[in-house]
Amino acid sequence: MTAPLLEPASGSRQEPPLLLVGTDYRCSPIELREKVAYGKEETEEMLVHLLARTEVAEAFLLSTCNRTEVYLQPRDEEGAYHAILDMVFLHRVPELERPGRLYVKRNGEAARHLLGVASGLESMVLGEPEILGQVKQASALAEAVGAEGPVLRRLLRSAAAAGKRARQETAITSGAVSLGYAVVELARNIFRGLEECQVLLIGAGEIARSVARPVVERGARELRVANRSLERAQQFKAEFPNAEILAFDDRLTALQTADLVIASTGADEPVLTRAHLKAAMKHRPSRPLLVVDLGVPRNVEPRAGRLENVFLHAIDSLDTLIQRNLKRRKEEVPKVEEIIEQELTLFRGWVRGLEAEPLIARLQKQAEKIRRNEMEAALARFPQETHEELERLTRSLVRKILHHPSTRLRTRDGGAGDLSRLDMVRELFHLDDDETAD
Amino acid sequence: MQTFLDTAVILLPLAYLLVAVDYGFLFFSSHPVAERTATPALRGAVLLHLAYLVALTIHRHQFPAATVAQALAMVAFFVAVVYVFVEWHGRARSTGFWLVSLVFFFQLLSSVLTRPNPPDRAIFHDPFFSVHVLLALLGYTAFVVAAGYGFLFLQLYRDLKSGRFATFYGKLPPLEVLERMMTGALLIGFAALTGAVVTGALWANRLYHDQWLHDPKIVFTLATWVLYAAALLLRRLRRWQGRQTALASLAGFGAILFSLMVVNFFFTGGFHGFL
Repeated sequence: MTAPLLEPASGSRQEPPLLLVGTDYRCSPIELREKVAYGKEETEEMLVHLLARTEVAEAFLLSTCNRTEVYLQPRDEEGAYHAILDMVFLHRVPELERPGRLYVKRNGEAARHLLGVASGLESMVLGEPEILGQVKQASALAEAVGAEGPVLRRLLRSAAAAGKRARQETAITSGAVSLGYAVVELARNIFRGLEECQVLLIGAGEIARSVARPVVERGARELRVANRSLERAQQFKAEFPNAEILAFDDRLTALQTADLVIASTGADEPVLTRAHLKAAMKHRPSRPLLVVDLGVPRNVEPRAGRLENVFLHAIDSLDTLIQRNLKRRKEEVPKVEEIIEQELTLFRGWVRGLEAEPLIARLQKQAEKIRRNEMEAALARFPQETHEELERLTRSLVRKILHHPSTRLRTRDGGAGDLSRLDMVRELFHLDDDETAD
Repeated sequence: MQTFLDTAVILLPLAYLLVAVDYGFLFFSSHPVAERTATPALRGAVLLHLAYLVALTIHRHQFPAATVAQALAMVAFFVAVVYVFVEWHGRARSTGFWLVSLVFFFQLLSSVLTRPNPPDRAIFHDPFFSVHVLLALLGYTAFVVAAGYGFLFLQLYRDLKSGRFATFYGKLPPLEVLERMMTGALLIGFAALTGAVVTGALWANRLYHDQWLHDPKIVFTLATWVLYAAALLLRRLRRWQGRQTALASLAGFGAILFSLMVVNFFFTGGFHGFL
């Protein structure tokens, strides 16, 4: 077997006990990824099977078009690792056994990776916003089948918080980074709202459709399409039923009322000239017109861009916009990483708090035992009517004395002193002896 | 009271400068601290400004526009209030830096020109005259706001035309919104200035018959009125579009500055020489 080897655990008690095995667009081509893509029901089924293994305490499976990842809280790390490898990946795609196809991360690194995924740092398109919703859906699925336990539940809450904060506090998701959304972005900088815009598409091919989708998705209601081939125009209408089909020659009349024109034909000559646009603008002098030319060779005469109130953008201009937005997103990465570290620190603190819980419970138990013993010896010396008050008083004393040490034990800073502090508490209060005695 | 007025004259430009810097951080870097502090800081400065104008009115027992400095302070205050309203209405917070910079500019001029113990002008005790002055100042305010949004319109227009997507692209309200705000301000300003011209003419005619027509301030104000009337008419006739209207609003802004500063200080022989 040449799949990634599971290195021996570091033995650190500072890290959350986690194991991640996955593959994404960087490791595997689409042909392999699609074979390990899990639908809703398959995910449920797989989680149930994983939980049936004694090595697995909690499980979470994230499957999107760009990644399939399994996060576990293992009881036996080695056994859990092989369970994931065989059941989730190799069973479906033996080729994933090749080096570099899968990645394995453990403990803090696995947690950091999930927070990075939810924040869009690991996405194919940096800052892609849909991943946060996909993580939440996968989390709900794991919760529904009972695969999430306290550790994964808390980790997923941290991931959701990191993703939300990354969106709200940084510009990691801002700016369009695809052709269609670049057109939407341009339109939003010119018009009050896409819902008030009339969109004219000249050409009804795949490019026109890919641009029309986000334009419609973001509110454009009035869509008209002029295409030389009626058959292709009908195909367009099948996808966009509200679209109105025009004869190709009617495009010039339609220009007079259109706000956004998207030209994407394969014509060798411009389908819109400066004269066409000049004539159209006479009917709409005070309204701006956004013309997007996606044709190569160009569909719109470049000189038309000099007309007053005509905003002509060709494919190069849109590429400039996309590159600018990507650069801005990249500049936001350090801020998102800082958010991830903050959320990770909170998560680690919570995990360390979990470690301290048994010790705190023992401390409280021992204190209570001492209180009870002392009370039994003392109560006989006090009148009956004061017993209840004494009970309340001593309980309150114990609770108040233990409050600060308990809080401190739960909120340790993760430094080297933490473990020795736990040991010191054990030593000071003879807690191991007390446990044995109980 | 006098101590408060003297202190406020110094504090106001400083306060607006700080608010403008805050909005600058908001515009250029979306700084989270500026996100939180810009609006409360502006509202604080506007309240201080209001207190100053109220104190001035009480102290002098007259409408606080008896000097150029006071008139400039009124324009600064009105522009700030207009922007607070625009922001409260949920629009164009990104334009705060530019509008507040204008407020700072006018208040700085006002503070620099403020003189201790300005003479008492009996004319400013007349309520009818105060209406004339108030309308003129509202007109100036609207034209200043129009110039602010006209300037931003031109910057965004240039960015969108050139495809460079530089400083202004993506940070401002859409071009159509900027144009609408600019045109709305122009219309309000024109109506107010028309009202100021009419009330001023009625009032002056009553006292001075036709001698007031040769007053340099009135001649220049009428020229400014014609400039705005022409711009709005050409726009109405669809001869002018957003860009030309924006350029006209900037030219109008220049005319207002000239009227407030140069005419008031260098053509002092006319009827408005009392300023």
